[in-house]
Amino acid sequence: MSILNIQNASKTYGSGHTQVTALKTTQFSAEKGELIAVIGPSGSGKSTFLTIAGGLQNPTNGSVLINGQEVTKLGERKRSMIRLKEVGFILQASNLVPYLSVDNQFRLLDKVKKGNMNQQEKAQLLKQLGIENLTKKYPADLSGGEKQRVAIAKALYTNPSLILADEPTASLDSNRAFEVIKMLAQETKEKNKATIMVTHDNRLTKYCDKVYTIVDGGLSLVSDNLQIRP
Amino acid sequence: MFLAWNEMKSAKLRFLLIIGVLTLMTYLVFLLSGLANGLAEMNREAVDQWKADAIVLTDESDMNLSQSSMTLHEAQRISAEHKAEIAQILAVARKSGTKIKESVAITGIHKDQFLMPNVSEGRSFRGDHEVIADDSLKADGLKLGDRLTISSSEQKLVIVGFTKKAKFNAAPVLYTTIATVQKIKYGKTDTSDKGIINGVVIRDPYFTKIKVPSSFKLTPIEPFIEHMPGYTPQKISLDFMIYFLFVIVSVTIGIFLYVLTIQKVSIFGVMKAQGISSLFLIRSVIAQTFLLALFGVCAGFILTAVTGAFLPSAVPIQLDIPALIGYGAIFIFVAALGSLFSVQTIVKIDPVQAIGG
Ligand SMILES: Nc1ncnc2c1ncn2[C@@H]1O[C@H](COP(=O)(O)OP(=O)(O)O)[C@@H](O)[C@H]1O
Ligand SMILES: [Mg+2]
Repeated sequence: MSILNIQNASKTYGSGHTQVTALKTTQFSAEKGELIAVIGPSGSGKSTFLTIAGGLQNPTNGSVLINGQEVTKLGERKRSMIRLKEVGFILQASNLVPYLSVDNQFRLLDKVKKGNMNQQEKAQLLKQLGIENLTKKYPADLSGGEKQRVAIAKALYTNPSLILADEPTASLDSNRAFEVIKMLAQETKEKNKATIMVTHDNRLTKYCDKVYTIVDGGLSLVSDNLQIRP
Repeated sequence: MFLAWNEMKSAKLRFLLIIGVLTLMTYLVFLLSGLANGLAEMNREAVDQWKADAIVLTDESDMNLSQSSMTLHEAQRISAEHKAEIAQILAVARKSGTKIKESVAITGIHKDQFLMPNVSEGRSFRGDHEVIADDSLKADGLKLGDRLTISSSEQKLVIVGFTKKAKFNAAPVLYTTIATVQKIKYGKTDTSDKGIINGVVIRDPYFTKIKVPSSFKLTPIEPFIEHMPGYTPQKISLDFMIYFLFVIVSVTIGIFLYVLTIQKVSIFGVMKAQGISSLFLIRSVIAQTFLLALFGVCAGFILTAVTGAFLPSAVPIQLDIPALIGYGAIFIFVAALGSLFSVQTIVKIDPVQAIGG
């Protein structure tokens, strides 16, 4: 069973002649252990695609299945539960709560969900991301790169099966960006997750199993490293 | 609670200001309730000391003791086991040779009946013209042995004792013999069957079984007190002010939290995107209100207690701890009610918009 399965989904905003097709009719699936990149210019529909894939909003037509559950049929409450359990968002805008210290960002997740990483796994994660010394700090005291890394840690902390990342490396220097992608790739393989990231950076695609482009809401597969690999 | 508390810790000034406003409002509620209590006490403390259940007055008097009059014969025919005859005249007493004047309720009783007060200082009246006075008069410069001149009467009285808590409808009571009251009222005493008194006080929980002639009226003690001039209007006004303050509290904290919620729309949106439920966020807003109100009430309580300790006795504020705790609880409840303004806003937050596409 695919972790994510999108069938005949499309999204239009507005109606009449102000109507915008943000996502054309799309078939898409992400399997366990796949790291997938989606590349496209600004306004091409990347965020629309990601929010539909993560059950944040419903497509105008078609259906979305996460781990076999048809989220497009569920009400907001149930969808919200699926997001909490199955999906880890790494958002373009920082998804940190400004009045919680880094440590408390994780404690908040413990308050709302069981089955998160244990102390040891968490310590290892923070170390990998190089943020183990920032736990007492508040988001306002962190640099853009540090915030981004905390946001990544937060998304991984809940052990989601689907990770959706919107420009996860945008505010990182290239060394750190490579490390983060390697880590996402490793996490994806080791724990059999599916990870979809939206990015501009072509250099990062070599760590990805599949690369899609999106232009004017049309998604197309450009390379499938799984097929190329022996 | 977790979100609420951590947010308060990280924006101390903002939340301290809100707590400050709540503290002042609690303080006002507490002082008003103390005032309501104190004023009620001034009216009723003498009657409360009687530990009576009912009073028999003439129907004509409209439950007003000083307007009621009956003969001793009529009073004796009222068939209650524990009863006490009472005569009363409202007058102005002046300390002889000085300008110290007081409105007093000169109250005639029998020494051997239950209206007889506990003497806290001095002795009981032995004969006519001797009085036991409410000890609040001491603060006005009266003391044992003082002679009093009574307005519109030749009669002179002398203070031989003091008793505590003896104000009747805000007037200090002078307890004396029935004969003395008759002398002041009618110029002569008449202790025969035809002698006039004002009413009969009854101590009997089953007083409703007592039959009285149709020209008389048996009134339970509580309505009798509520009927005292000024008592009920005063109480209603102050109670109204207190209730209105509760509405203001609810709206004020509602506005504060609404503004704070509006400021946090994008943060809440991000949390909702991550799958944190609206319910969790709503609970945290209500918990925050609860904490703010709790701190406000506690600080208001301390402020009230300090004020109470330094209050001059002339100020009729009496703090009643159980009542304050009750008002404090209502205060916290109405504050929490105010936070419900924000619920709709939280429910409506669209996570897609909040994360900025
Ligand atoms: N809520 C919305 N209402 C109307 N149009 C929208 C809305 N969100 C996105 N769009 C439009 O849909 C298209 C795709 O947007 P988006 O998915 O945000 O692209 P990207 O993330 O690739 O920059 C754009 O033309 C954008 O203007
Ligand atoms: Mg975007």
